[in-house]
Amino acid sequence: MKFARAHKGASYFAVAAAFGELVTGGAVSPITALLGTTGLITSWFWEPPRIRYERWALLWTIVSLLVLVLSVTFAVTTGDILGTGADFLVWLTIVKAHNRRAARDWQQLYVLAFFMLVAGSVMNADLTFGAFFLLFVIGATWTMILFHLRREMEDNFLLKHADDKSERVEVRRILESKRIVDRRFFVGTALVSLGIFAGAAVLFLAIPRVGIGFFWKGKSGLSLAGFSDGVKLGGHGRIKDDRTVVMRVKVSGQFAGRDAPYLHWRGVSFDEYSHGAWSRGDRAPLTDGDLDTPRPGRLRITLPGFSPGGLASDAARTAGFEQQVWLEPLDADVLFGASMPLAFEVDAVRGTRPPDDDRNDELRYAHGGAIHYTVWSQVESPDADRLRKARGPLPPNFDVYTRVPKEITDETVAKAREITAGLTNDYDKAQALIAWLDANNRYTLELADPGGREPIDFFLFERHEGHCEYFASAFVIMARSVGIPTRNVNGFLGGEWNEYDDYFAIRAGDAHSWAEIYFPGEGWVTFDPTPAAEVDELGRGGTGIWARIVRFLDSVRFGWKKWVVDYDLSEQLSLFKGIGGGIKAGARWVKEQAIDGVKAAGRNWPVTLAIAIPLCGLIAWRLRRRRGPGGGPRGRARVRSAIATTYAGALAQLARQGHPRDPAITPRELARDLAAQGVAGAGPLGELTELYYLAEWGEVVSPDAVARAAALGREIAEALKQASTR
Amino acid sequence: MTAGAAIAPAPRRGWWARLRKRLRPPRRLTFTRDGRVLFMLALGIGFGAINTGNNLLYLLVGWLCSFIVASGVLSEVTMKGLTVRRRPPARLFAGQPFLMEIAVENGKPSLASFSIEIEDLVGGRPLDKKCYFLKIPAGKTQRTSYRHTFARRGTYTLDGFRIATKFPFGFFRKSRDIDEPTEVLVYPALVPVVRPMPRTESAGDARAARLGRRGEFHGLREWRQGDDRRDVHWKSTARSGRTMVREYEDELMRRVVVCVDNALPAAVRTAVEDGLAPPEIDALERAISVAASLAAAYLDAGWSVALVARGAQVPTSAGRSQLPRILRALALLDTVGDDTPFAAPLPPRTESVLVHPRGVVVAGRPSGAARVVEA
Repeated sequence: MKFARAHKGASYFAVAAAFGELVTGGAVSPITALLGTTGLITSWFWEPPRIRYERWALLWTIVSLLVLVLSVTFAVTTGDILGTGADFLVWLTIVKAHNRRAARDWQQLYVLAFFMLVAGSVMNADLTFGAFFLLFVIGATWTMILFHLRREMEDNFLLKHADDKSERVEVRRILESKRIVDRRFFVGTALVSLGIFAGAAVLFLAIPRVGIGFFWKGKSGLSLAGFSDGVKLGGHGRIKDDRTVVMRVKVSGQFAGRDAPYLHWRGVSFDEYSHGAWSRGDRAPLTDGDLDTPRPGRLRITLPGFSPGGLASDAARTAGFEQQVWLEPLDADVLFGASMPLAFEVDAVRGTRPPDDDRNDELRYAHGGAIHYTVWSQVESPDADRLRKARGPLPPNFDVYTRVPKEITDETVAKAREITAGLTNDYDKAQALIAWLDANNRYTLELADPGGREPIDFFLFERHEGHCEYFASAFVIMARSVGIPTRNVNGFLGGEWNEYDDYFAIRAGDAHSWAEIYFPGEGWVTFDPTPAAEVDELGRGGTGIWARIVRFLDSVRFGWKKWVVDYDLSEQLSLFKGIGGGIKAGARWVKEQAIDGVKAAGRNWPVTLAIAIPLCGLIAWRLRRRRGPGGGPRGRARVRSAIATTYAGALAQLARQGHPRDPAITPRELARDLAAQGVAGAGPLGELTELYYLAEWGEVVSPDAVARAAALGREIAEALKQASTR
Repeated sequence: MTAGAAIAPAPRRGWWARLRKRLRPPRRLTFTRDGRVLFMLALGIGFGAINTGNNLLYLLVGWLCSFIVASGVLSEVTMKGLTVRRRPPARLFAGQPFLMEIAVENGKPSLASFSIEIEDLVGGRPLDKKCYFLKIPAGKTQRTSYRHTFARRGTYTLDGFRIATKFPFGFFRKSRDIDEPTEVLVYPALVPVVRPMPRTESAGDARAARLGRRGEFHGLREWRQGDDRRDVHWKSTARSGRTMVREYEDELMRRVVVCVDNALPAAVRTAVEDGLAPPEIDALERAISVAASLAAAYLDAGWSVALVARGAQVPTSAGRSQLPRILRALALLDTVGDDTPFAAPLPPRTESVLVHPRGVVVAGRPSGAARVVEA
């Protein structure tokens, strides 16, 4: 490939990778993405002799100034400084790509591409950043090497020295040369760039994660998916089965795997119902979690609502079922955990604490973006008999969980009483209500408009169809109607099991609503009134090849999130602890093997000697060979030319014919002697000898000389063959 | 050793030089302008990463650092296995540009070397000229040359080479010095001179009728390099144990002694030692240059030429080999005081040219009178 073309191609590759990373992350508007793509394509052809740059310079300047004014105005009015800045960066790149006059312009183009990469690192935390970053690393390695060579040749090859004067030479000729870079160069440097990428990964893992946060501290702040921090009944249409992953959870034991029981991932909870909507009332009990610091940099919050006996943090951790949660950026800062969560542990962010006004045993922790934390939960409900026997007064303010709003129809209350008539404990009453809801209503994602009618009344007595929010809301209201302290809970249910990295991928479509009932002495217990067989719209995921591919890609994305985006000091310590442990174990193993080996060698000393002596001899011989007979470093074997090889072949043929060369005879003397004797092939041998001298001692090895030597070699062989035939 | 420019290994280094060599770092690494920008970028992004906790910025910092590490490794690979040789021209003259050929062999079996700069070191510092090799394929040798001018005659020690590269990214310039000490002798500048007319009719250009191969036998003298082997007088050689050659009459008849007065007043020499360059020095250099040019002119005309100076002399001889002897002696001619006598008396029957910083004087037999031919 011509050098100039290779340089141009590599440069565009790197710029396109940076641009692609910005576009796929959604950092720039679609119009900018389209303009940028078009601009980069046209700029490829926008060069002399087709274009004279100076004729267009003024136009580019004027348009750039206009774009600058527009960008500043847009940024000020919308407040989207980052996005507008990214758009302007793309514009500058297009301008520079259309004005590639000198090496300095190329260099500025690279700087702009790098800034696009930096902007993307702030605005695109997705796996696409990693993919385009890898491409950029490869392209940048090619580009920087070729750019360096181009600039060096421009600096150094402008002068050709002669005895009396130095004159300028044409660099263009060298730029058109195909001998400087070839396929091997590209493959080699691509491998180097992979090495650079690996080095970057190692350094990335090794750089200490010590945050300062002088001016600003936070993650991307991008919201991946909306999570409804409230419940509003009465909508109509069809709920979409959104497969966007919002949370990944690593669990172990009986709850891991495709066939494991479905878990409720509790998030938010509501006590107040009004006109079809659930919310948190001002009188609802505060979450009031116990805070402690299990180790530096970590914060643990124990929720007393699920351990009314005052379960301590360590006890909660020991008793609970552990989950590692990687939560994607959501609209709400709420933390999710398998129902019923006992304790959470998060990375302590300086100055950040769970808000004091969290209620209903919700837990919020301001994280701005994705977050990784640990949860311990009491997954299995207490035994039914214990719940039946649970008696006692309610804690203060728990009357909010028994309040039935005025708009609830008498028919609803009467139906609840009718269903639970004759039952003496809350547990049996709740089970009866669930059984009735299951028997008389059907699960559907097709919502009907209740019009002006109270939504629960509409669901129970007219529609008889609804989704989980209808079932949960109806259950809570009916339970409260018969005096059971109940609240509405929102979160997710189940999730897709990813067999490639052993985790549950909780999708937006797994969103679910259920209820919790308070039992004195036992705490809050999960009750899910939605028909179990119908709730799992998405399920554990398909088993077809496409579903597997999707899950594999998600595991890669999860790895990216886990090891890159969310990599923190705790992960770092854990990683290095693991590496240290591995080294320690390895050293121990080697030591044990060595001790065993020495003992075995001592027991079988004749065999040991039989192996060791030849081995030492071999090592000594190798060392001597390496150092050379004189004790100094061994000289490198001289690279022989093709002419010398031909000459050696001719000598071998002559030797076979009875004309060996005496070591004391020089090649030239040999040729002369053979010519004097009239030996066949002596004529061409004379010429070959001169070529041999030139090649070996004059280092003159032109292609013509090599070809001529080969022809002479064939001539000698032919002559010797004919002579032997005669 | 080439015929004219005397090149010889440098004398053995002193203990201080050896110690300095041992303490010298194996590689020198300096930032280029681009490298400084890269470093500042890495620092800035590193600060941003620490400040925001954005791991992707950490990744960029890791990449930039990895880029720097790869730059070091690749530059090391490209500089490895290189053998540098220099080939000076046959003769070097002061003030005259020359081309020094530099050959670089890439001994690596499969990897090419890119963007190699070679500089000759004089006094541990690189010359102002460098040679650039864009690509040296594996197992190949490439040559180029640099043009340089030594301003003054004398011995110059080329200590070695500095191999440098900014490959692969131009962020750093890595260099290492190779000891390859060579002394280069720079002859005095040859200037256009008019050979003075001979003082006697019987000598000089008027050729006598010759007998035999080269004229009348004149005498014997010791063999000097360049003498014809046919002139060896074997009997005398066997008798004296030294190689003796015949001298012929015509050589004797066309002899000239170029005499250079290289004395300088003590005050001037003190000034030179103090690093000053008084005008007397330039005058003496010009005189030495004129002496060399005159010797060359006489030798071209077939004369036998001898050189006599204070503390140095070259015996009479003719032919192509005599000029380098005289040039070498003049190149190494040192300044002395008036108290140092001429190394040999002027032969009474021989034409002689006295070159003095103030002028050139021709003296000849039989009168012994002299005349100034050039001021």
